[in-house]
Amino acid sequence: MIEIRGHARGGQGMVTAFEILAKIFNKLGGFKVQAFPAFGVERTGAPIQAFLRVAQNEIFNRSNIYHPHLIIIFDESLLEQVPVFEGLKENGAVLVNTEKSPAAFAGRANQIYTVPATRISLELGLGSKSLPIINAAMIGAVMRIFQAELDMALPVLRQSVPIKPDANAESASRAFESVQGLEEGNEYLVQCLYARDAEMEVVPEEILAQSAGVHSDAFQAPFWNVPMSSNKTGNWRLMTPSYVSKTPPCNANCPAGTDVRAFVRLTAEKKFDEAFEVIARHNPFPGICGRVCPHFCEQNCNRNQLDEGLNVGAMERFLGDRLRQRPLKPSPIRYKERIAVIGSGPAGLTAALRLRRKGYPVTVFEALPLAGGMMRAGIPKFRLPDEVLDEEIAAILKEGVEIQTSHRVTVEELATKGFNAVITAVGSHIGLALGLENEHLFAEGITFLRNFKLHGEKDGIKKGDEIAIIGGGNTAIDLARTALRLGAIPTIYYRRTITEMPAIAQEVEEAMAEGVQMEFLSAPIAVNLTKEGLITMRLQDMRLGPQDDSGRRRPVPIAGSERDVVVDKVIAAIGQEFDDFVFHGQKVEPQQGKVIYKGNVPVFCAGDMAWGGTVAEAIGSGNKVAEEVDAFLRGIPYHHDETLPEVVLPEDINYTYFLPSARHRSEFKYNRNLFNDFTEVSAGLEEHELVEEGGRCLHCGDCFNCGNCFNFCPDAAIFVDESGRIRIDYDYCKGCGICAQECPCSAIQFQLQEEETL
Amino acid sequence: MPDGPRTETATEAAPDRLSEFPRHQERIMKGNYAAAEAARLCRVGFVPAYPITPQTTIVERLSEMVSNGEMDATYVNMDSEHSVFAAAMGAALGGERVFTATAGQGLFYAHEVLQAISHFRLPMVMCNVGRPSIPWNIWSDQSDSLSQRDTGWIQYYGESSQEVLDTIIQAYLLSEQLNIPVMVVLDAFYQSHTSENIWIPEQDLVDEFLPPRRTAEMSIDLAQPKAFGGLVPPEHYYKFNYNSWKDVNKVESLSAKIAGRFAGHFGRKYGNVEAVNIGPQTRLVLVTISSITTTARGVIRKYPDVGLLKIRLFKPFPKASVLDALKNLPENAILANVERNFLGDREGAIQQEMKRALYGSRNLRMLDFYAGVGGKDVPPLTIEKIIYRATHSPEDINWIDVD
Repeated sequence: MIEIRGHARGGQGMVTAFEILAKIFNKLGGFKVQAFPAFGVERTGAPIQAFLRVAQNEIFNRSNIYHPHLIIIFDESLLEQVPVFEGLKENGAVLVNTEKSPAAFAGRANQIYTVPATRISLELGLGSKSLPIINAAMIGAVMRIFQAELDMALPVLRQSVPIKPDANAESASRAFESVQGLEEGNEYLVQCLYARDAEMEVVPEEILAQSAGVHSDAFQAPFWNVPMSSNKTGNWRLMTPSYVSKTPPCNANCPAGTDVRAFVRLTAEKKFDEAFEVIARHNPFPGICGRVCPHFCEQNCNRNQLDEGLNVGAMERFLGDRLRQRPLKPSPIRYKERIAVIGSGPAGLTAALRLRRKGYPVTVFEALPLAGGMMRAGIPKFRLPDEVLDEEIAAILKEGVEIQTSHRVTVEELATKGFNAVITAVGSHIGLALGLENEHLFAEGITFLRNFKLHGEKDGIKKGDEIAIIGGGNTAIDLARTALRLGAIPTIYYRRTITEMPAIAQEVEEAMAEGVQMEFLSAPIAVNLTKEGLITMRLQDMRLGPQDDSGRRRPVPIAGSERDVVVDKVIAAIGQEFDDFVFHGQKVEPQQGKVIYKGNVPVFCAGDMAWGGTVAEAIGSGNKVAEEVDAFLRGIPYHHDETLPEVVLPEDINYTYFLPSARHRSEFKYNRNLFNDFTEVSAGLEEHELVEEGGRCLHCGDCFNCGNCFNFCPDAAIFVDESGRIRIDYDYCKGCGICAQECPCSAIQFQLQEEETL
Repeated sequence: MPDGPRTETATEAAPDRLSEFPRHQERIMKGNYAAAEAARLCRVGFVPAYPITPQTTIVERLSEMVSNGEMDATYVNMDSEHSVFAAAMGAALGGERVFTATAGQGLFYAHEVLQAISHFRLPMVMCNVGRPSIPWNIWSDQSDSLSQRDTGWIQYYGESSQEVLDTIIQAYLLSEQLNIPVMVVLDAFYQSHTSENIWIPEQDLVDEFLPPRRTAEMSIDLAQPKAFGGLVPPEHYYKFNYNSWKDVNKVESLSAKIAGRFAGHFGRKYGNVEAVNIGPQTRLVLVTISSITTTARGVIRKYPDVGLLKIRLFKPFPKASVLDALKNLPENAILANVERNFLGDREGAIQQEMKRALYGSRNLRMLDFYAGVGGKDVPPLTIEKIIYRATHSPEDINWIDVD
């Protein structure tokens, strides 16, 4: 009798190969055969065994093969994982599927043969590179070892393979010819095959006596609280789960670059100081952003699919206000290169602070008497109280940034004062014109807001005046609400509908609640002065046409729909542009970062003049320009990675694991009589409400120790380590993927390759 | 293949080699396929099925044969084993020849219906591929079928896949003569998934041996409506049991008679039990069921004073056959029962049955050996350890290979 043991991975077809070999041996010599797998781990990728007994007479053994005459290794990588050579008979042989020669395995067995079965199979189109079907090739090689007539074996092979009989037969033939390490056949194996009686080995008495009984104290019974330690099933794994941190939509959509998810989590854990630190890394204006940012984070929050996005703004506001007056001291000056920033808005001040922290002396030049840019000149106090703005700017000053107000400068002037780099961040403070005849009769919105806020100038608005405001952006809304507080009756005329309005939706809602009238799909086409000194404005109705470049539907005039309205004042707020005074008549195309400027100082641009239009975008722009200026001055190539990260999408979230809970809304409060009332309209949230709000976070792409994977792992291969972290025990993880499937927040990736870090 | 070396042994005739069986075809086949083949040869008309490892390839092969027309039967994929046996019950009531197969949890789940089928006195044959319950395990173990031994089903345990095929053919004859259902058990993997030489009889040969199922008295007849399964009060209930008891008592002798007829017809001989090397010289007898028997046969060739008693018909336990097999065994010999089952008792199922069988007739010392539960391999070495331990100050109950 001959006993053969095979080692392969599930999916390579070894069990079938052994069945076919059994049929072939039976056909060739009328042998009694027995072919069977060591079953149970019959799963793609798992190491498996198969056994084959071939005998002249009845086989009196139905157990696994421990002392084979021949060992067949289908997968070379098993050599390092499984004791494949164990128990080989002294004169036995080993056949390995490999490109290597037998010499490469010298010392591991007396007789080693090799055959490049994978290459042969792939050349003949059997299986794929990741899963070659090498059955036939291995059968061919075995035939060679036994000096069999291959032609007699091939018909059985052809009959037994499910598809491609020709390719399989050819594969067996090529392998038959390609066995390395033997010339004829293996005489010893052939002799064993024909031996009539199985060898009767005498087992030494001391081995027979080795049979611990039921009363053995040494025996330790396993129990369920730990993996079945002796059965390390980790080597079955093809796909590997691992904990990852993916980008959540809040982070991906924050123009300032804030790690929103992190500070929300810290807020929920009541770690307010740490939460503040997370924001302050990128954003020196959390108190301001908490109030005026449109919160791209909230708009894209995956929680919107379940109920409502988190109130991130209220958290940011609370964290910012809490530490507004914290003690600060300047970082040491490390570099001699001096940097000038023109404009003290959010972009300029962010850039200045980031560079000052790096150790550069930085001076900010501000044309207006007070610092703050659009935050100072454009945003009304009822949205942003002065003390918030003053104190957040004061904190920047405490960190060593110098600000010169009422100092209108040009780049050229600064070049002569020895600055090594100039950042222009002058914002967009010049209102755009509609291009109508008599447009001088209109007041300009951004100018009105600036003059009113800095100097209290009301531009003649009296109680009871009817004011028409043209536009649909934040300036238009702020104008209308300011006019209300001056006792006027404002009406906003907007040429599209509320859906297309660029203004922050919440501001629009609040304006309407306060009593601002809005007329949509109306655009002025002419303006005139009446005899009484009032203004008559001719409006034309619009309808929405196809989309324009902004993705919004274009307003199309409706002929014959003209009508006149008579008002005390018209204020236009249709957009702003930057003041090119800084470039002193030189034509410069502003863009983020370094710009082409003819002069002897490098010039960089940031803020509204480069891109964006919100505080958060300006902060992000300031952060970026600071990095670029630093790199420039240090002579390092600057590269900003603009590739979009892979963001956790709603379809990645297992919403079933989250209970619905209502968003904590900041209370919007206003007096029925708003006259002269510029107190803040938004109340913010209390500490306990914010902690609860933080608890609503779905933790997109970030493990929050919910324990789902731990609970679901069918192999108890997920455990909690000494530091309380959930981890995967790869000795036991079979790679079933249930943990990744059941992770509520997509914090487990499940992929083919083994992680190098595992 | 070159000629084998011309050694002395090679030229001797092989005495234990199966000779050619006329009107058969030799095939290399898995045990599960052999079971399916048997169902086909018995012209089974109805197969309700639910797959479970390691039984799956039986019902898989049956569905294949039904769909490609090799087998003229109705195949229904049910939603669970409970439903499988409920459907089997209905079809058997309707007069069909029914076959199904299950394993482990599937059999446990069907427990209630197993009782109903046997007490309705419905003939059918099922295969069980043995596996245990918890700890979760799919490997060879007889705890599942042995725990069902009191459901009223006749139980056979096959040593080889050839024996499984042959026993299924005999089982239909027995079942339909006595109206008692039969369970034929094979070992997981060591039989179910082992490809080996199997002689498949021709259809005619089987047809000559096994007539079509005769219409039972209680089968469904639309012209004569009947109600089945009504409430039976105490004054009548015992009559059903009494009738069953009378027929159960006939199983052992009828089984032997059918096996004898089978041997004459097909050329392969099986007893209710089989005695190997049991005589005056024997001082130890290994008592085995299923595939462990084969390995034990090989081992005892090294031990002239060790015999083997294979139990093929397990339920009802063939007391007379056992006593007959042991009649030449000296009173000081030892019986070592090899158990691939654990039923929550001190002793395993074989020892329990052996003690009942020998009570009042023989007073042999009996030792119990738990070996091979949950698929733990039982190689020749383990058998030799059992022999060693049985002859070297054994405990009454022993666990082998506990380490």
